[in-house]
Amino acid sequence: MTTRLPAQPNEVIDRSKPLAFTWNGKKMRGFEGDTITSAILANGEHIISRSMKYHRPRGVLTADFWDPNTSVQVGDEPNVRASHRALVAGMAVSAQNVWPSLKYDAKAANGLVGRFLTAGFYYKTFMKPAKMWPAYERVLARFAPGGKVDLDTPHGYHDKRYAHPDVVVAGGGPSGLAAAVEAARAGASVMLVEHEHDLGGHLRWGSNDDADALAGLVAEAESAGVEILTNSTVTGRYEDNWLAIAQRNHPIAVERLIKARAKVLVVAPGLIERPYVFAGNDLPGVMTSGAVRRLIAMYAIRPGNRAVVLTANESGDAAIDELERAGIEIVKVIDARTGATVTKASGSKSRVKAVTCSDGSIVDADLLVTATGWTAPTSLLNMSGDRPVYDPASARFFADSPPDNVLTTGGIAGDGNRDELISHGRSTGRLAAARAGVARHRIQAATTRATAVDGPEPAYPDDTRSPLGRDPHPELFRSTSHGMVDFSEDISSKDLFGAAAEGFDSVELLKRFTTATMGPSQGKLETVNTVAVLAEARGETLAEVGTTVWRPPYAPIALGALAGRVFEPVRVSSIQPWHEANGSTPILAGQWVRPEHYGAPQQEVRNTRANVGITDVTPLGKLDLQGPDVAKLLSQLYTNKWMQLAIGSVRYGIMCAEDGVVLDDGVTGRLGDEHYLMTTTSSGAGGVWNWIENWLQTEHPEWQVHVTPVTTGLTSINVAGPNSRELMSRLVGDDIDLDPDAFKYMQVRTGTIAGVADCVVWRIGFTGELSFEIHVPSGHGLHVWETLLGQGESLGVAPFGLEAQRIMRLEKGHFIVGQDTDGLSKAPTTGMIGLLKFDKDDWAGKPEVAWALEGDYPRIVAIQPTDPSIVPDEACQILREGTKDIVGRITSSRFSPTLDRAVCLGQVTPEFAGPDTTLTVQLVNGEQITARVMQHHAHFDPEGERLRG
Amino acid sequence: MLLVPCPNCGPRNASDMSYGGEPHSRPDPNTASPEQWRTYLYLRDNESGWITEKWYCSSGCRKHFKLERHTLTGELRNPPLPGNKTGGHK
Amino acid sequence: MADPPAFESPVVTIGRAAGAGSITLTDESATTKASVRAADGTPAASALGLTFGCAEARGDVLVARTRPDEWMVFGTSQAVAAHLGGLDLSGYASTVDITHSRLMFRITGLAAAKAMAKVCSIDFSDPMMPSGACVGASVAKVGCDIIRHDIDDVPSYRILCDRSFGQYLFDALVDAKAEFG
Repeated sequence: MTTRLPAQPNEVIDRSKPLAFTWNGKKMRGFEGDTITSAILANGEHIISRSMKYHRPRGVLTADFWDPNTSVQVGDEPNVRASHRALVAGMAVSAQNVWPSLKYDAKAANGLVGRFLTAGFYYKTFMKPAKMWPAYERVLARFAPGGKVDLDTPHGYHDKRYAHPDVVVAGGGPSGLAAAVEAARAGASVMLVEHEHDLGGHLRWGSNDDADALAGLVAEAESAGVEILTNSTVTGRYEDNWLAIAQRNHPIAVERLIKARAKVLVVAPGLIERPYVFAGNDLPGVMTSGAVRRLIAMYAIRPGNRAVVLTANESGDAAIDELERAGIEIVKVIDARTGATVTKASGSKSRVKAVTCSDGSIVDADLLVTATGWTAPTSLLNMSGDRPVYDPASARFFADSPPDNVLTTGGIAGDGNRDELISHGRSTGRLAAARAGVARHRIQAATTRATAVDGPEPAYPDDTRSPLGRDPHPELFRSTSHGMVDFSEDISSKDLFGAAAEGFDSVELLKRFTTATMGPSQGKLETVNTVAVLAEARGETLAEVGTTVWRPPYAPIALGALAGRVFEPVRVSSIQPWHEANGSTPILAGQWVRPEHYGAPQQEVRNTRANVGITDVTPLGKLDLQGPDVAKLLSQLYTNKWMQLAIGSVRYGIMCAEDGVVLDDGVTGRLGDEHYLMTTTSSGAGGVWNWIENWLQTEHPEWQVHVTPVTTGLTSINVAGPNSRELMSRLVGDDIDLDPDAFKYMQVRTGTIAGVADCVVWRIGFTGELSFEIHVPSGHGLHVWETLLGQGESLGVAPFGLEAQRIMRLEKGHFIVGQDTDGLSKAPTTGMIGLLKFDKDDWAGKPEVAWALEGDYPRIVAIQPTDPSIVPDEACQILREGTKDIVGRITSSRFSPTLDRAVCLGQVTPEFAGPDTTLTVQLVNGEQITARVMQHHAHFDPEGERLRG
Repeated sequence: MLLVPCPNCGPRNASDMSYGGEPHSRPDPNTASPEQWRTYLYLRDNESGWITEKWYCSSGCRKHFKLERHTLTGELRNPPLPGNKTGGHK
Repeated sequence: MADPPAFESPVVTIGRAAGAGSITLTDESATTKASVRAADGTPAASALGLTFGCAEARGDVLVARTRPDEWMVFGTSQAVAAHLGGLDLSGYASTVDITHSRLMFRITGLAAAKAMAKVCSIDFSDPMMPSGACVGASVAKVGCDIIRHDIDDVPSYRILCDRSFGQYLFDALVDAKAEFG
């Protein structure tokens, strides 16, 4: 007999569209509408996989997304759930984790050593000797379950989007559909998310009346404007109904993550049928009543020829009718409601052959159908903060008290016939829309940019729905024999008893020790059985044992969907196109792409000190400060004094946090009466702005100061070197007087450069050369840069990059906050004691800096290795000679082309900070060298003559 | 992801905000002892029940404000405006 | 003196995809933009008016109250200068020219909100973000100001952010709108 039945009234396959595919290399055919599993079954095969640990042959158990026995490899995609994935023409499907083949899996030898592979065996075996562990690892890796990952697989298009639906309905069975319809009719924007490829839940494998009712509901949903997402899952619920929805039916994206803020969530996931625990329960041919009904009704698959049915509810009873209609012989019906049960299924390795019943009889059968009860998928309720409560009379968990914006309907809320479920769904949808309406009103009223709301906020509606009833159901978890509890982890009830006896007898410990519920089905099919077995072992009730907590994701989600399209903001200055076109080597500094050098940083240093160099320092933080109280702000934030800064003057300052640690440094210049321009370090720009806003808004709201970041509005170029003034003179307008007496060191001017108005020019010098730092409105930055290069050709101008700048500043001993200081460096460490003005009334960090000065604090010093050719790596430790005591470290280190030797800055304890002290520096390779503490921080031109020229 | 009720913008995702911790009044830097100053820097009351805390709407209005949060239930609300009743949330 | 040089846009490469399709993306970074800061109760605040989060066209300029105490004014340099020239800055108010520090893009189309929903978590539905609304929000991980100002009833959003993100943000928006044809 072929396994494909004649046409079934509501089958989902389209027999006019055959699809070719291969299964383990063998050519097969299925139909459009088949899942991979139903197509394989239609070709007469029933073993789909081998179990994780013991490599036992496995066939269909539930024939749906949660089936633990039907994970396969499809082409380069591992771990595909064959009982859910739609068959596509040309698929190359193969079994996972088998060798050499599914049929003759050598790893089934694990079954022989099963005694040693009980739960938690890896905590007890393969431990010693420790040096064997790499070898153990290599062997064990071969036995790890799961498919193969192809590292060359092309990246699919994954995506994310945001959504703000009024109501999200998780689950498109009769109740969920009805809820979505009514909510939409009441004016709510509704998103209906259904796990399966089609809406309908259990109506899809029901009667013809069920099929008609389903078609009607779907039409209602479409005309009401519900946004329907099939083959999609609400996979997580976070605070305030922030939902993660994995959408797999998108026309372009392989999988899309929708981050939705729903005002009301309706949880309608239905019920999941639970397998029964008994000896032989994982033999191929043992399956749930739902599996049988789905296979027959939807895919026209004959699940077997001679059936025994263990039934405790309507689904089992319906399966008997379906089997009979399909012409399958029912050899025996065991009605569990009378107390009878099944104790064993036996067979050859490939199929069940006989069933032993509790009355002692043994029956020949190749199909054993169980209908022993339902598990409520309470994940979304758990994630809403609810702890569902177990009801022994109905043998399942029900919601306790979820928050007001989470409603349940359908099987998870109770039982009923189709009309009752639909009616409850409709009333739920109306309630959801009404509660969402109140939330929408509240949000809109609180948002000034939104359209104004009509009238006062409506009253929050009470829940006046008539509840669904609860049908009694016998508690059936484990028979009198031991069998599989967690099929995907190969954990049997015997393993659970054993673990409990070893002391892992709380449900959370039991789970983690045995890995029960931690496999691919993540507890959907095995949590309740696990709890029930533990309850048996402890002699307690399920309620007393409690359950583990279900956490996101509810269903697996592709890492690509979680990543989405990668957003890595990149910042560039307006001169970047020139850098790229002229051989710069880029370096990433925070979010900025900057030129590190143009091929020869040492030469760039030499040229700048000999002629003139220009460098792009646009990322330097710049803040425009305006107002009558700016000087007060500067005094509060910097350690030094600012109240008497003249217009046109510039001052350097250090900022501390309230714990006295150096926060940032920079120069600030006064451009006008109430107008200043502050510079910060590049990496500190954002932080200092936040720091200033914090002070102005929370400590001194009475000060009139306005701060505007202009970091990128001004393209900043440092023109440095002996010829810099000459070069500047070729660009500045008449409004800037470059004469050294008119424009002194540490002064600022505004005016025209290269025909561009509103430029700012400072005479400051990080590099230690005569230099002018110019700030140009960025819309003209590239123009000014190119003009400098053109006008400076005869002066030997050349660009220099970040590396050359760092070498030059190090030659001058200028520390960099965050490089030469760290998160513990209080202000005195910098050596700038003269900038710490304690006669000022108040400044950030003042008390801590005062207390630091009273004790020992690390000092920044200039260091030169005795051997001038050795450039120690930054962070090399400085030791007390002959010991392993660390007394400091190298913080900056380069080879200086100007001095033709290595130069460093470092931090050392006061004991080692004196000039000419000999230091012991340990290099990265363990070798130790000597070095000398220098008199000044500056290795070169300590008097600063070049700067002040 | 928490929905935070900014008093200017209305409810916004917590990722649009920066959390500022418990407010503590700044001692006089000239007279505070090290214990007092460090209490200001590091010690927090962390009470059970309704507490006041600082938030900053960094992506939106860029204003600092205070909210009340219930440390057991997680509920957030705007503190009472002078003369008015408490602004609600949820 | 020679003519001042032309304005360099922060978007170096504008591909054909930007202007093609049902949603168009244009670079308007050269528009003159000014920021005015003024506390409630000052003459400047009263003169500029508007509720926080609202924008309106006034003659040749668009005025948006983007923060409780900050307005942005856009238009030609003459129009903006004229609009701000008469402002009483006492009490205390200040202005900053942000023409160069902020880029400005414009995204227009019936499905423009859908493209924005791929890169921004704000609710762009009509009641929450009608034409004339403005909001500060992260777009593709960059802090932006968004002002909705429809053109002939077609939804249109101006997006402003720090200039240095120009090419990155432009490319991210072109990518976001590609799905909608």
